[in-house]
This record gives sequence, structure tokens and C-alpha cells, in this order.
Amino acid sequence: MDALIIEINARGLHRYEVISKGTTTIGRALDNDIILSDPTVAPHHLQVVQHADDSIELINLASINPTQLDRQVIDTLVIEKLPVALEIGRVQATLLSRDQPVAATRPLAGNRGHRHPFGHAYWALLLVLACLLVSGLDFFLSSYNSFKWGDLLKHLLHETILTIGGFVLALSILERLLVNRWEIRLLLTSVCLMFLLYTSFMWFADGLDYLLSASWPSGLLYFGWYLVMVPAAIALYLIHVSHLTRERSLLLALLIASPLALPSILQSSQMQLLFDNFSPTASYHNKLSYFNWHLRESVDIERFIEQARKLEPGAAAD
Amino acid sequence: MHYRLFAVVFTLLLTFAVPASAVDSKGIYKLNQDRVFQVRVLNRETGKKSSIGSGFIVGDGHQLATNYHVISQVILEPELFYISYLGNDGAEGELRLQALDVAHDLALLAAEQALGEAIEMSPLPPRGAPIFAMGNPLDLGLNIAVGTNGGILNQTDDSRILFSGSLNPGMSGGPTFNESGQAIGINVATARNNISFIVPSRFLTDLINRASNAEFADNVDLKAEVARQVLAYENHYIEQLLATDWSSLNLRQFQLPGVISPTVRCWDNSSKLSAVARYKRYQIRCANQNHVYLDADNNFVGRLIYEYYWLESDELNAIQFYNLYESLNKDQVDSKPGRDIATNFNCETWFINVSSQQMKSNLCRREYLEYPGMSDVLFTAALTGHANKGFFVTLILTGVDFDSTLPLIQRFLETTEWTP
Repeated sequence: MDALIIEINARGLHRYEVISKGTTTIGRALDNDIILSDPTVAPHHLQVVQHADDSIELINLASINPTQLDRQVIDTLVIEKLPVALEIGRVQATLLSRDQPVAATRPLAGNRGHRHPFGHAYWALLLVLACLLVSGLDFFLSSYNSFKWGDLLKHLLHETILTIGGFVLALSILERLLVNRWEIRLLLTSVCLMFLLYTSFMWFADGLDYLLSASWPSGLLYFGWYLVMVPAAIALYLIHVSHLTRERSLLLALLIASPLALPSILQSSQMQLLFDNFSPTASYHNKLSYFNWHLRESVDIERFIEQARKLEPGAAAD
Repeated sequence: MHYRLFAVVFTLLLTFAVPASAVDSKGIYKLNQDRVFQVRVLNRETGKKSSIGSGFIVGDGHQLATNYHVISQVILEPELFYISYLGNDGAEGELRLQALDVAHDLALLAAEQALGEAIEMSPLPPRGAPIFAMGNPLDLGLNIAVGTNGGILNQTDDSRILFSGSLNPGMSGGPTFNESGQAIGINVATARNNISFIVPSRFLTDLINRASNAEFADNVDLKAEVARQVLAYENHYIEQLLATDWSSLNLRQFQLPGVISPTVRCWDNSSKLSAVARYKRYQIRCANQNHVYLDADNNFVGRLIYEYYWLESDELNAIQFYNLYESLNKDQVDSKPGRDIATNFNCETWFINVSSQQMKSNLCRREYLEYPGMSDVLFTAALTGHANKGFFVTLILTGVDFDSTLPLIQRFLETTEWTP
């Protein structure tokens, strides 16, 4: 007789118990063969009986929260084909045959996974340094007064270290809850990479705005960042580092990205104009660039006046 | 018998014509206390006052003169409000709007029955002469404020009189008398600390004459009439600006339009920079003093403001300099009307060649929803192509016909000269 395996689903890492004898009892009481400590499980919840002809019989023992198979309450049931999914109280479990194939081994991520692209510690260090450098450069280019180291350090602490640290901490806690592991170093690498990408995106968007004399490129990139890039990055992380399934990763990525994206999007001027399509201030294109690369041709004064005559009146708000 | 009749007529003539001789404030008060009224805007539903001012008898004795701003709420919401008078003796009654002069903030109202004898009007007395403003300050009862004539102001296009007395809310629309008890103007505004303003009586005389020829029909669109008057006034103002020679001013490498009208004053507006600033910034702000009252929602229009900024630095690199330059390039029109009052701004960007330089410019306009043809215009132009020099100009006009502003903008740009 082939031995049975019962897979008890837990966060990230499942628990497997071998059912090798004729009758196996499952429940919360300590005299069971398999003990489930969940409070929704009855002291004696389920019996799994393997008969001599290899058939498997399930006998429900619980009156409260009885055992369910495919969302149907069972009393006694003979199983003909494995695997079957069971609900014992709120614990999800699967009965498997021992020869059930398993998925291919995934490489370890983080410092222990030398084949992983982010597997080395120096990546994290390098990217943290790059973030500090880029943030410092941004501060330097936006400061018009005499340079003070104290101001730079304050900026790096507030704008870079606390931001990156906050994201890493929040995502680490989530990962701990999801897969029961701490991956701080790997998260640091990923968050730094996103920080660098965001800064580059915004610089690029500014240039594009000036080139086209419009504000839609930065608006588009801003929305694209929060609605596509951030969820995609989290999903990729969950698939390739946390080794969750694609569907679960995408769902979780959207859930995790929403609290980041929604406030930023809702507070953006474009979205506010969408909700309340009126503004008493003029949204004119005030961007200025030293490089002065623009696709609009320069016109003389008379031509400008001629074109200005065609400027349409403002539109009334709804 | 004929002799006795002549004596009576002569005595009466003396009694009424003698105000020509000097009287003091007590005499003026006594003489006019029954000819100056409280003008009130009342809510038809509640019967309570929404705003108050003063008014005085003019013309045929059925008419009251007051300020347009005292009764403007009736123009905004005629179905909800009406105008009424309250005399010193407690007499009250409804008033009908007969004519408006929005530019000079005057309104002519008419009562069904005669209100009394009209107050005689007179030209302005010499500068420094005592004048007396009557009205109902703060709904506390009829009062008289004594001050002197500071003369006609040339800072404003509507030629207001500077009055050294104290005008308070509620006195608007009341008469200002000379020593002979004749009305030389109409109380209109205050800048506090005994700096007040009077509309000269000649504008009221013109309005009374106009009203005698054509008073408002019952179904007249008052908002359209207000818009027509404001736009006519603004168009005339802009035409005058274009017809005169402009003085120029220098701001570093630019020669720019300076004081372009007697109504305009220019001030250095350069704010003190921090001691650690690695750049220099110079700012000149020019503005007219024209405040044309539109209504309680919009307050004032008629502003012409142009502001110049020059920015330079030997210490900042080009990217730092342009980050700073861009952060300053954000001027807006001061007034922020709501969605029920005005449209959104519509803006367009151009790169314009001005005196061998290129300027990134924006032209924006928004329209007043209830006043057809009336717009606010914002024009900005920022110098491009220099690593460590920046200059931008902002030109703002409020309550204007958009098309009429374009020749002004054109002349502004044409008279802007770059010195290499």
C-alpha cells in the first residue's frame, strides 16, 4: 500500500505528514495522530482510513465546522482519485499520493544564492551608495545658497535614508508574514534600484516636458510609475525572490502597491483636475531648461500675435 | 400788494440760495438730514438687510444717487434682492434701478413718490478747502465727517478726489459737500487712517443726464450692461495706453517699458536675499491703481500689472541656475474666483524672438461666466539660452476684452530691448 501524504497549508512553507497506517486521526486533541492547533478544528475532527484494497475513506467526526471537500460537507466518503483538497475547520489541507511530482528547485535569493542576480552583498552596498550619490546630486543641483554639509546630511537622512529605510522595513515585515523569512538585504537592493529608477524617470520626464512644451509626458510617466512600474516590480520580486505563484504574486503586488500609489495619484494635480475640473490658477508651461531643446519653432512677435488671436476662451467647469 | 409779494419771494430766494455762503458741519447736517437716506439691499424672503449704504436726492426729486457697489447684489441676484431707502424720519420705500456708471461706481435709483428737494451739485473747491461727507456709518445713524479736499488723483483713471476725512462702511454713496452745502462728489472708498476717496460730482451729473434720455427697461440684462460698461472703459483705457509715449526703464541688460501711463506706479520689489544666496535677483513691479468694482463675488477688475525679474549668478552652475530660475517663473493672477464665477484658464506656449533673444512665453485667458466678453489675461515671457542670466516678465490684465490686450502685449514685446 502506498503511503499517503497530507499537506497542511501554512504561510509560505507547508507542513507535510505521512499517513502510513490503516487509520489516522486528525484533530486538536493531543491523542490524535496528526495534531492541528487551530481553534476552529474539533478535538477529534477527521479520520482517514486506508483500506487493504488501497481505497481511502474519510470519516468526519466534527459536529462544529465539519470537514469539507470541494466546499461540500462530508460525513463519510471514499476517495477514488488523488489529490483532494480538504477544509478542516479553517485549515486547508491536501491529500496527496507519495509519488506526486514536485516543482523544480528554485535558486536561493539573497546572499545565500550566488546564482541570483542580486545574490551578492556588494550589490546592496553599491546601490545604497548610488542612491545616496544621486540624492546628494539632486540636492546640490537644487540648492542656490552656500553649500553646507549639515544641510546635505539632513537631506540625505530625510529624503533618502528614511524613505528607503521605511520601504525596506515595511516590505520586510510583509515578506516575513508571507513566506516566514527576513530578506532585508535583498529588499534593500530592490528598493534602491526603484529609487534610482524613479529619480531617472523624473529627470527624463522634465526633459521631455520641455522638449514637447507640454506637461502630459511627466503626468504619463508619473501615473505609469505608480500604476505599472511599482506593482510590476513587487510582482517580479515576489515571483523570483519569494517564489510565490504568478497569480498570487500579481494579486499581492497590487495589494501592496495600492497604499503607495493611491495617495500619490489622488494628490497629483492631474487627478485633482479630473475629480474637480476647475482651477482658479493658470496651469501654464513654466518649465525652463538650460539646454533649451524644444520642438516648437521660434516665431517673431507679429506671428505670435497672429497665433494668439486664435487662443480659445477658457472652458467652464462642469 | 406787488411789493409784499416781491418781498416774500426775495426772502425765500435768500433762504434757499444762501447756502452759497459758508456754513459749518452743523449747518450742513441740518440742511441735508432729510435729503440723505440709507440705501438698503433687502432679501425678498426674509425682509432683512443684506448690505447698506447711503444715497441722496438728485435730479427731479424722485431720484437717489448712490454707489454701484452698494446695490450690486441686486444685479447678481435680482430675483432674491431689492433696493429700498430709509429716511432720517423713518420713511421707507422701494427703489428702482434707473442707470449705472460701473466705471465710476455710481448708480441712480428712482422712487415712486418724490423724496424731497434735490441736493445742488458743484465743482470741486480749491485743494485744502474743508469738505464734509455725510452718510450712515455702520448702520449707526446719519453722521457727518469733516476733512479737506486733497485734489483730483491722477493715479486712477476715474479721477477720484482725495479726502482727508474718515469714511466708514455704510457711508458709501452719501454726498460730500463743500462749505456752501453743495455736493461736490459721492463718498466711495477708504484706505483707512483718514485717507478716503470721493467720486467727483460731474460723473453723477453725466449719469443723471444719460438717465433722462434712456433709463433701463424692465427686462434689461443688467449683467450684460455691466460687462458692456466695464469693457468700454477698459478698451478706452488700453487705447489711451497705446496712444501715449511710454517711458522706459533699465533692468541690467534689458531696456523695458517703464511708466506707461499716469495711472501706473512702478516700485522696486526686490526682496532681501539671504546672506548665503549665491545669486542676485532684481524685481520691479508696476501696477495701475484702477479698481473697478464688479460685484460682491468678483470684487475688483481693471488691474494692469507688469512685473520684471532679473536673475544672475556667477557661482551657480547652469543646471542649478535653471532650477532656481524655473522655481521663480510661476506668477499668477491674484484673484481666485470660484467655478461659478469664471472658467478655467486656457494657456498656450510660444517661443518668441524678442530683440535678438528667444523667450519662452505663455499666454493664458479665462472668461467671466456671467459677464459676456470679459476676460482675465496673463502673459509671461522668460529669457532662454543663457547659462547664468535669466529674465522674465509677467503682464496681467483683469476684466478686459481679450482681443484688445494683444496690441498692448505686442507693444510691450516690441519696446523690450536687449543690450548685448
